[in-house]
Formats: sequence, C-alpha cells, structure tokens
Amino acid sequence: MAQAEGTAVAAGASWPRRRRLSRDRILRGSVPYVLILPVVAAIGAILGYPLYSLVRLSLQHYGLFELIRHQGQWVGLDNFASVLRDPVFWHTLIRTVVFTAVNVALTIGLGTLIALLLTRVSAWARVLLTGGLVLVWATPVVVAVQIWYWMTNYQNGVLNFVLTRLRIGDFFQHDWYATTFSQLGLTTTLVVWGALPFVAISVYASLSQVPHELVEAAEIDGARPWRIFMDVTLPILRPILRIVTSLSSIWDFGVFTQPFLLITQSHIHPGNYLMGIYLFEEGYVKTDFGRGAAISLLMLLMVAAMSVFYVRKMVRMGDGE
Amino acid sequence: MNRRRTASAGWNAVAVVLFVVMVFPVFWMISTAFKPDDQIIGANPTWFSLHPTLAHFRAAIHTPFFWTDVKNSLIIVCTTVAISIALAFLAAIALAKYRFTGRKLFIVLMIGIQMLPQAGLIIPLYVVLARYHQVNALTGVILTYMTFALPFSVWTLRGFIINIPRELEEAAMVDGNSRLGAFVKILLPLAAPGLVATSVFAFITSWNEYIFARVLLNDQGKQTLTVWLSSFLGSSRHTDWGALLAGSTLTAIPVLVFFLLVQRKIAFGLTAGAVKA
Amino acid sequence: MRSRVFVAAIAAVALGVVAATASAGQQRAQANKLTVWLQVDAQSGWPEIVAAANTQFQQDHPGWSVDVQYQNWTDHLQKFDATLAGGNSPDVIEMGNTEMTKYMAAGAFAPLDKTTFDNSAKWLAGLAKSGNYGGKTYGVPYYAGSRVATYRTDLFAKAGIKKLPTSLAELTTAAKKLMATGNGKGFSPVYVGGEDWYVAMAFVYDYGGTIARTQGGRWYGALDSPRAIKGLTAYKNFFLAASRASKTNDGTKPNPYDVYAQGSAAVIVGPSWYSCCVGAKYKTTTAQFVLPSHIKGQSMPGFLGGSDLAVPVTSANKSLGADWIKDFTSTSSEKALRAKGNIPNTTALLGSSINERAAARSWFVPTAKHWVDVENGNILKNMLGQILTGKLTVKQAASSASDNITSVLNGA
Repeated sequence: MAQAEGTAVAAGASWPRRRRLSRDRILRGSVPYVLILPVVAAIGAILGYPLYSLVRLSLQHYGLFELIRHQGQWVGLDNFASVLRDPVFWHTLIRTVVFTAVNVALTIGLGTLIALLLTRVSAWARVLLTGGLVLVWATPVVVAVQIWYWMTNYQNGVLNFVLTRLRIGDFFQHDWYATTFSQLGLTTTLVVWGALPFVAISVYASLSQVPHELVEAAEIDGARPWRIFMDVTLPILRPILRIVTSLSSIWDFGVFTQPFLLITQSHIHPGNYLMGIYLFEEGYVKTDFGRGAAISLLMLLMVAAMSVFYVRKMVRMGDGE
Repeated sequence: MNRRRTASAGWNAVAVVLFVVMVFPVFWMISTAFKPDDQIIGANPTWFSLHPTLAHFRAAIHTPFFWTDVKNSLIIVCTTVAISIALAFLAAIALAKYRFTGRKLFIVLMIGIQMLPQAGLIIPLYVVLARYHQVNALTGVILTYMTFALPFSVWTLRGFIINIPRELEEAAMVDGNSRLGAFVKILLPLAAPGLVATSVFAFITSWNEYIFARVLLNDQGKQTLTVWLSSFLGSSRHTDWGALLAGSTLTAIPVLVFFLLVQRKIAFGLTAGAVKA
Repeated sequence: MRSRVFVAAIAAVALGVVAATASAGQQRAQANKLTVWLQVDAQSGWPEIVAAANTQFQQDHPGWSVDVQYQNWTDHLQKFDATLAGGNSPDVIEMGNTEMTKYMAAGAFAPLDKTTFDNSAKWLAGLAKSGNYGGKTYGVPYYAGSRVATYRTDLFAKAGIKKLPTSLAELTTAAKKLMATGNGKGFSPVYVGGEDWYVAMAFVYDYGGTIARTQGGRWYGALDSPRAIKGLTAYKNFFLAASRASKTNDGTKPNPYDVYAQGSAAVIVGPSWYSCCVGAKYKTTTAQFVLPSHIKGQSMPGFLGGSDLAVPVTSANKSLGADWIKDFTSTSSEKALRAKGNIPNTTALLGSSINERAAARSWFVPTAKHWVDVENGNILKNMLGQILTGKLTVKQAASSASDNITSVLNGA
C-alpha cells in the first residue's frame, strides 16, 4: 500500500519538501482512522455495555429473582461447565451444524445460479425476476411463517391438496409437523426461500463488475460456458461469494425466528432443538439468564472457531492485490 | 446473434417459472387478502377469488394508529439506511484501500459482532438505552438498528470495493484530486450496484425487524408497522387472517417501491464493467 | 383455555443489568400518568369497559391520565422482564393465571389489600388461588373462561340424536351415530386435537386424579396414580372413537373453529367464545352444551383459564395502580365483562349461561413455581402423543411423564 501511495504522490506534482511531507503524511495516515471512527463510535456506544454485561452475567447465577433485585450471585465458570456437560448441548450442536451446512449449500448454490440466470435474460424478465426476489425478501418473517403454515396445514393446506392432485401420493391430511426431519425440512425451505434474494442480488451485482470484453473474448475463442465461468467469472465473484457464504453460515447457525415460529413452542423439544432455540429455551423460557449468557458466548466462540480459517483468508483479502 | 436470441428466450422461460415458484407464497398471501372469509377457511383452497373483497384492507387501514405506524416505520428505516450506508461506505473504503494498524482488529470486530446472537442482547440494550433516555423514542430504535446494520454493510461493501481496479483510482489522481476525493468520485459510481444491494438489504432488515421495536417502544403512537402487524397475532382469540394478510401486503409495499426506485442501478447487465473511462 | 404459544420473534435471553445506577425504582415517575398493560383481547373485545374504568379513575384522581398499552400474549413477558431490569415498568399488568406463580415467587409484584376490591370475599376459588402466594394477595382476578362443547344442531338432528348427551358414554354413542351419517373424509364427530391437554386433563380430574400434588414443600407427579390412569385411558378411548384430528395436534393449529367452519366437525371443545368464529354458513345451526362427565348428570371439569391483574413492585405509583384495578374489577365492570361472554371473577355474579355452568366443576394446574417449565417442556403433550399413537402404553407414558414432572417441579 505504501508503494501505491508513493506512486500516487509521484504521479502528482513535484516532490513536496521534507517538512510538508511529514505533516501531509500524518494527515494522510489519519485518513483511514477518520473514516472508520463514526462506525466504531456508534457501535461502541451502543454495544459496549451490553457486551460487557453479557460476559458478566455468564459468570453469575441470575434468574428472575435476581433480575428483579438487580443482584446476581457469582458462580465463576459453573454456567459454562453445566452447559458443556449437558448432552443436549452436544446433540443440538451437531444437528445445527448439519442444518447449517445444508441451508448454506442450497442458498449459495441456488442463489448463484439465479444470479447467472439474471445475466442471460432479456430486460423484462430481469426486472420481473428481480422484482419477485425483492417481493420475497420484503415479506416479514412473521408473515412468511403464517403463509407457510397456511400452505402446509393439516386440514386444508394447499401443499397437501396439490401433491394429492399431482398424484405424487396420498397427502390428504398429512401432518407435516409430525417428525423432526419433516419439521426441520420445512424450516429449511422457509429459510432458504427467504435467503435466496440477498444472495442472488448480491452475486448479480458483483457479476455486473465482470468485464464484458473478457467474456466476449473467451466466447469468441470458443471456450465453453463452464470454462468461462471458472476462469473469468468466478475469480471476480470470489470476494462476494466468500462474504455471502460467511454471512449465511453465521446467520443460519444462529437461526431462531423461522424454526421457532414454524415448529411452535408446542412441538419444540430437545430432540429438535437448534442452537438458537436452545439458547432461548434454556436462557429465557426457563429464565436462567446467567446460563443463557453463557450459551450466547459459547455460540459466539463456536462460530468464531469454525470460521477462523475463513476469516483469516478474508482478512488477508485485499493484501497485495 | 440468432443463437443468442433463442438462448435468451429459453432462459426467459426459466426465469418466469422460477418467478412463479418463488413468488407463490407471496401470491398466496395477496390473493387470500382479497378473499371473503368463507373462502379463507374453506376446505378446498381457492386459488383466486371470484368475489374479491376490499373489506380486509379497509379493516387493516382503519385500525387505530395505522398511518402513524407507517410514518414511524418510514422515519426509522430511512434514517437508519441513509446514515448506515454513508458511514459504512467510508469505513469500507478505509478497509479496502488503506493499510493501517488496527485494520485487522477492525475487520475481526465487524465479523465478530455479526456472530453475536442478537437474542442475548435485548435486555442489556434496553438498559443502556434507558440510561440515555432513548427508550420509547424513535432515535433509540434508529441507534439500535444502525448498530446491527453497520457491520454487515461495511463487510459487504468492502467486497464490492475491493474489486475496483487500482488503475482507475490512479487515473483520477492524475487530475490532481486528493486521494480521498478520487476515491469518492471514482468509486461511488462503480460501487453503485454494491451500495444499492446493501442498502436494499439494510432497508428490508430494518423494515421487518420486530423484537427490538417491540421491546423498546411503548406508546401506541410511536410503534412501527411490524409491531402493528403482530397485534393481529397477539390475541389468544380468533386471528383475523384476512386482515393480517391484508396488513402484511400493505407492509410489503414500501419495500417494493424502494426497490423499484433503485433497481436500475443494479441492472447494469450488458453495460457492466463498462468503465471504459 | 388460553392456549398461548410462548412465541418470541427473537429469543430474549433476559440479561438483567446490575449494579450502579440501574437500581430499582430509578424510573422517573411519569408526571401524573398511570401506565396499564392489558392484552389485545381487551382492545378488540371490550374497549368500552376499559374506557369506563379510566373515566372512573380520572374522576377519583383529578389531574391523572391513564395510558393503556395493549400487549401480545406472545411477548409481553419479555417486555416485562426488560422493564424489570431497566425501568419504565407499567403500574398495572395483566397476567395469565398460569403465568402468575413464577413471578410471584420471584417477588415481582407488590402485595395488595384484598379487602379493597369488590366482591373479594366471593372470588371464584380457582381464580383467586392463582393470585395468592405465601398467604399474600398479589393478583386480582379479572375474568375467566371455561370449556364448553359447541355443536351443529342440524347434524345432530340428521343423526337422530334427540337429547343432548348427559354422560360421556352417551356422547360417545352420539359420536358413532354422527360418524355413520357420512360427512366426508376427515370428518370428526367431536374434533379434539390429540395433544390438547386442556381437554385430556379434564378426563383425569373427572376420574378423581390430579397432575401433581405437594407435600412438605416437595412436588410429586401424580399421573401414574390408578385414578389418573383410568382418566387417561378414558380419554384415549374417547379420542379414538370420536376424533379424526391429528394425534399430535395440540388444538391450536388449525383452530378447532376453523375446522368446524369448514364443515369437518360436528362438535368442538373449547372456550365459549368459539361460537364467534364458526363461519357464516353454520352460524344459525350452532349451539353449545356443557361437556358431560363420565358420571351421568355431572359436567366434565373445565379448565378455568383466566387473567389476573397485578402491580409490579418496580412501579412508582403502586397505590394508584391498585385503585385502577379496583375500578376495572368493580361490580359494574365485572357485570359488563360477563355480558361479553366471560366468566366474572366472583360467584356473586355467576349466572347460568353454558359457560358459567361449565365452571361449576373446574380444575386448575398445580400452583408450583416451576409449573410453567412443565408446560413449556411439553411433557403432557408428549405423553398424550405417545399414548395415542400407541408408542407407549398408558401406564408407561403416564409413569415417565410423572417422573419428569416431579423433577421439573422441584426445580431440577
């Protein structure tokens, strides 16, 4: 980067004198800090104390009784120990990892395909599809869940109706919420449906940065679409793909709203917990806030650990490019 | 040329099918909002009502505070998005184009915050905002939304900015622009698709956010549309599905409008990368 | 009755904040404004009764205004927890009667003087119990509802059922007749979700059993007692004979009245207000009767679901809050609530509507601090599912559920 700066300066007018150089350099050196200051200040002011209190709480026994009196009991790492000893925690972790892998794969895969499709269609189709994607995106989760329930319900759901009519089987009054696999499967469709627009549109926006001349040149050379994709398109997409994959993984790992509202408190039990729900049940429903804080921090650590390799790559992204 | 046109037609067909599949649930919501009550609960699903009714929309609009809530939502979300995108853009430039000490720490912070389960932060956040007297105030909600929007905005914008070739910046600096000036002049139009995608995302996430708005806002006159929607589901009695789905349809409209306004910036398509500067 | 689904949009791991400034009672007393939290049920059901109470309050306390903020069942506790931690608590809060015990045990409410409230000597026993803890009154009963059977008079006529059933056996016979009159695939003579524990437990109490009992400070799950098992077996037989609902459905999704409105049920069991939503087609051919016990002539005990009103201990206007509650549960107010189809909070005002007659025999959940955990852990529902699907015998399922209940209620 220093090299680039040097070039920039050289490309300008004459060499500034030594004294001006220092002052300019300080000013120039402070530019990045000034740029990030507002963000750091905003986040620090609002999240600083909550984060501190999260850590504090994880080390205390803090239930409803303590909440009202604003006074907890220090128990050191007991909360963490209790969670790590709980077999439910480990089963939930495995289930969530599998769930996340499936969801992310579907989201990124289908999202990229949709983005590629968008580059190949006529303008009207592009507006139609992007409009449709935004419409999907704009649907609040609370509403989407109601619609999903509506479509899959036992008595008069349209899904059962259509599947029976298409003679795929007899789905008359099929209860889609009876087994864990079915419940989580439906949750996956809901999550992926809601997540596709962001991925598709972001990847599409990034595709717009692919130099068209390169693509044309490769096509003229007779390269097949797959080769073009791998050699020309993918490298440009790589940064944004890394980003949306990391974001999707983080979100899907901690997903709460969709499974909770879809499966509903009535059918949730340790056999179909996902991490986000486990956090809610243990921490909030049982009003054991200290334990909940411990679980929050554990989740944070786990996600961080699982993505450390990835994060390091992304942090290095932009170095020496 | 011919091959491209037929290829286009084939892809167009795929796009239409995809549109139908993706949008079906939304279509279902909108069509149900127009159905009279007996068709809503009927045993056999009605695809499209032959006797559409505006009764549900009327019921939804006439609930108390509907328009106030619309106004509140618009204020909160527009402010959040405007400020967040502006600040995030600057920070993303710093991240993507400058090298400075603490850069790695800042990146880790941006990612790390997104890894926090938001659930755990609700009550501490409430307590902090209460201390600054920002509870039951639109500004408190704006600050909260900004805090969650900034990390992913910075993160996503960085990805878009990184792709912009350095030669373009340097070309601009030959003209005597200061480095920062060059960035803004050159990067802004090039990063436009990324800015748009990110702002749409920020808009939607803030528009549909529920739990913080619910916990932080008390007065009837200060609530957002998502809270308004939830009141249809909050009763232990009969849920007015028609009004709920009509309300949901209404809630989705501003997002769609926002998108239509900015969609041309994303639709670079064939003129993309065309900074044949 | 109140089949609340404890839903939150995002989880709230309530992390109370400690120390320093956030001390209790730091909230600035709103200049002469009383904050009341009622559920949206009141907003849509009886807003004029609320307004009348407000007017009365303002007359008694000139210069004060009342700000009623309507809450959802799904997240009102979360909001409440946040205010307990950070301030701005309401001065009056409506709580479901099953929600009370946990909060009373934690000291969330201010004690009230029972005698200042109208008809308190004759409060309905089931309701009053939920507002009592350690000998003190923390909650004032607001209103209740029991369970009744809503039925299709035309289908009964078509099946040749001349008299309304007065015993469970008669109801089962009637169900068989209704099934034979052929009303389409998936039709339930008596639509009851398999895991609808409000209905199933009624059978247990009908046979003299109970969910749990307490002795010497400890709780013991009692579903494996012979009487309870008789009740559960009776429920299983009844369900298999009369209902075609899903065995794992708990009676909330779909709502029974929606099933009824589609024509797929002849009888549904639930709160009396179900009659509101039976659809235009069957409005004129709908009536209600009291669900009969297995003992001829008696009614099946109905779950007395209801709400209490309490004053949070962090409120700055506690005595005024109590005054507002007094106005809202006054005799005239309760009379008006009764007129809306609710059960009033006192036997003094009880009439003979079907709803109220059903309340003659009632049951309530164990008033244990951790009862909410049993509900949220779906222990009863899972047990019912296992029994109905045949995965376990009644005895096995009841036994394991009982053990579970014992450990949860004792705070494990």
